[in-house]
Amino acid sequence: MARVLVVDDAAFMRMAIKNMLENHGYEIVGEAENGAVAVQKYQECRPDLVTMDITMPEMNGLEALKAIMKIDPNAVVVMVSAMGQEAMVKEAIMSGAKSFIIKPFKADHVLETIRKVLS
Amino acid sequence: MSAQDNEQMLEMYFFETEQNLEQLETLILSGEKGTGFTEDTLNELFRLMHTIKGSSGMMSYQSLASVAHHLEDLLHYLRERQPASVDYSILSDLVLEGIDLMKVELQKIKNGDQADGDVAPLVKNIKEYLQLLKEQNNAESEAAAALAQPDHTNDFGAEADAVIYKAVVHFAADCAMENMRAYSLVHNLQEAVNILRFFPEDLEADESSEIIQREGFTVYLQSELEPEQIKELFMQTPFLRELEFTVADFGSAEKAADNGAQNQKHNNHTAANNNSVISVSVSKLDKLMDLVGEMVIAESMVVQNPDLNGLELENFEKAARQLHKITSELQDLVMSIRMVPLATTFHKMQRLVRDMSKQLQKDIQLQLIGEQTEVDKNIIEHINDPIMHLIRNAIDHGLETAEEREAQGKPATGSITLEAKNAGSDVLILVKDDGRGLNKDKILERALEHGLLTKAPAEMTEKEIYELIFLPGFSTKDDITEFSGRGVGMDVVANNLKMVGGSVSVSSAPGQGTVFTLRIPLTLAIMDSMNVKVGDCCYTIPIINIKECLRLQHHTLVNDTEGYEMLMVRGECYPIIRLHQHFKIKNAVTDLDKGVLVMVEHDKKSFLLFVDELLGQQEVVVKALPTYIKERHKSKTISGCTLLGDGSISLILDVGGFVQ
Amino acid sequence: MAKMAAQDWMSGEEEDTQKGKYLTFALGKEVYGIEIRYVTEIIGIQPITEVPEMPDYIRGIINLRGQIVPVMDVRLRFKKEFREYDDRTCVIVIEFDDIAMGLIVDSVEEVLSIPDEDIVSLPEIKQSTNRYIKSVGKVGDEIKLLLDCSKLLTEDEMESLAEIQS
Repeated sequence: MARVLVVDDAAFMRMAIKNMLENHGYEIVGEAENGAVAVQKYQECRPDLVTMDITMPEMNGLEALKAIMKIDPNAVVVMVSAMGQEAMVKEAIMSGAKSFIIKPFKADHVLETIRKVLS
Repeated sequence: MSAQDNEQMLEMYFFETEQNLEQLETLILSGEKGTGFTEDTLNELFRLMHTIKGSSGMMSYQSLASVAHHLEDLLHYLRERQPASVDYSILSDLVLEGIDLMKVELQKIKNGDQADGDVAPLVKNIKEYLQLLKEQNNAESEAAAALAQPDHTNDFGAEADAVIYKAVVHFAADCAMENMRAYSLVHNLQEAVNILRFFPEDLEADESSEIIQREGFTVYLQSELEPEQIKELFMQTPFLRELEFTVADFGSAEKAADNGAQNQKHNNHTAANNNSVISVSVSKLDKLMDLVGEMVIAESMVVQNPDLNGLELENFEKAARQLHKITSELQDLVMSIRMVPLATTFHKMQRLVRDMSKQLQKDIQLQLIGEQTEVDKNIIEHINDPIMHLIRNAIDHGLETAEEREAQGKPATGSITLEAKNAGSDVLILVKDDGRGLNKDKILERALEHGLLTKAPAEMTEKEIYELIFLPGFSTKDDITEFSGRGVGMDVVANNLKMVGGSVSVSSAPGQGTVFTLRIPLTLAIMDSMNVKVGDCCYTIPIINIKECLRLQHHTLVNDTEGYEMLMVRGECYPIIRLHQHFKIKNAVTDLDKGVLVMVEHDKKSFLLFVDELLGQQEVVVKALPTYIKERHKSKTISGCTLLGDGSISLILDVGGFVQ
Repeated sequence: MAKMAAQDWMSGEEEDTQKGKYLTFALGKEVYGIEIRYVTEIIGIQPITEVPEMPDYIRGIINLRGQIVPVMDVRLRFKKEFREYDDRTCVIVIEFDDIAMGLIVDSVEEVLSIPDEDIVSLPEIKQSTNRYIKSVGKVGDEIKLLLDCSKLLTEDEMESLAEIQS
């Protein structure tokens, strides 16, 4: 199954996404707590999919997304957003994010989104 | 999801949320203290609040999520619009109130209760404040809003001959952010098809989501692709539940995709701490220390195994020495992991000082020195309250009002210094104020009133007089304020410190201030001790209490009229406590000639403990007694226990318990 | 994880499977039952370190792989005659309300499912060993006395008074 990099500054969120995906057969190949680490991890493990939180310290999700798209224009990045972050989501999509999921999320929503963007 | 996952996540949630709350508090307090609310501070506040909101939402803790959500809105407004006139003290109050409320809710959840706190009043205040800000900065915000309006004027004509398709998309009912899903759809389609126009047009407007929910999202497009292929493209959209795909029946349409560059502002966040640190629960550390303790025991069981007696094992000895080196290094390392800096404890005091200075309208500056000093985790828990108590007292009674201070030629702002430093195997924590100092006459007066004097006041040194305030029964309920008082006094401070093997002392100069010095050991977990045997039992006496070990032969036994035994040592008389009698132990040596007398000292009182024999000196890992036992052990002659080399348990004597 | 609500996470499937199950043990001829969810493990008798100033039924503490656990002689707790420990003697380690306790019993019998309808609660009678018994379970024609863990681990006022006077 697909190899996933989970990016979120909250360890709790990473754990939530990780548990959810692992329970459905995805392999979590890395976790990152900010955008800078995410970019570095992306280069190291070249995942099939990245879940990318938007609000993060150091380098936020949008900047990390742009950096990753520069490294790999075919990267599949799904943004993790909260309600009210429409403007950010819009910019993310313009910058190459394949889709987005909204916190608080439900497992079937996340799984559907990921299945669709990977197909 | 398995039960284990759940528990793990809950634990992570608690840990992270508490950490975030603490960080928020620190930021607010430092923001208030002159550094002001910079863009960086606001960004960081926003990010932390955002994280709490997200995590709490995932856990379905509505009260927490709601408070965090509204505060996040407020912070969002502030950092995006950066209004000119903001009363940041209201912001601080609201955020701090929110933090307090969230802490309470978190505690409820931890206790297994419902997090059912009433957040409505606070949420109302936050909303009102946000509204006020918006009104105050109306002109500004309108201008900004106008800027944020996307530019929809770039229209493109359709190619005259090609077929125009009309697609109406319906998303899943609960997918949320329909406008952005539509935006994403348009963006993805653009690569393959020529999009002419879509409705609703303004996808950034809040109403657009509602329209899409109600009527669906309509797209007019042209493409060289077969209709089936186009449909296929549509179907890749997450949460697409229904697609009506038809040929449109009008000749011209305009493309109205928004290609205007968004002028979105990005802010670089300053990270709070970016060192590679992981968080471990204390229970795991305790477990690790237990295991290392057991490993040390197991090592000695192997190395000193009776089966090896009389064997010449050169290689074995060598390997054993290596093993010993590693185990002791490991032990040291585990101990060092348990050491945590006092910073968190110190920073909590900032909040206290802030609240009190507002309440009492005294201007106070709190200075923190040496907050990186490390102390065993278990000890930190015990010194929090004493420090808080001392600071409350200093603010309440120590520091004068601004007028009084100025009259005495002091700066109007009172100063409190909280300082930590290492001193050998102890850590010293100093609580200093530059207030009026202790009043000797009043102390003596009160001590006399309560019958606490053991000497004539004229014979007492200054220090002895000051130390009177630590006696139980010295504090009265005379000056209760909201913060200090409450009927608990300095004796509680002294007692708390005693519990961790520390002490407190005080010095003071009239008109210049008071200094309280707390002396605490670095760690409680490892102790140098002497193991002794009584009957079939083994007991452990802390080396720190032992003065010497004696045999009866060389000294004179004295029996007083009530049958108490005493021993004359170098002209002084020391009472003898027979441990076997005291603890009702069978099979013990009862003949004073045959056993050993251990002279111990506590609080300058010395006496002799009679035991069968000494087993040897050793560093032991201290373990607490089970709660059930602790609650029923009234005399406090046992302070804990430790595991011996053979896995058996030895009880650690609290010499102080025998004095009483 | 269909729904990420806190309640879902907390609900233990474990608890369901443990419901209505009792570990039974013998003291002389009588058979007692204790709810299996409180039982953490069963071990043979261990070397016990006596602790001074404890009631006689608290025999002391044991080292359970580094954890220090008090042990209670249930016979003495019920004011029955002391019986020397032998190789049938067992320590049932329970955890109730965050208190761990080893219960020394003559022998451990089996784990039984007793449905609620076969359990009869007892009226509370003070000053008798019955006060440790919450209810009676019927299994075939046998009777199992079901223990109330909280009563076992706490003394009531009468008892503490008696201890002070003795």
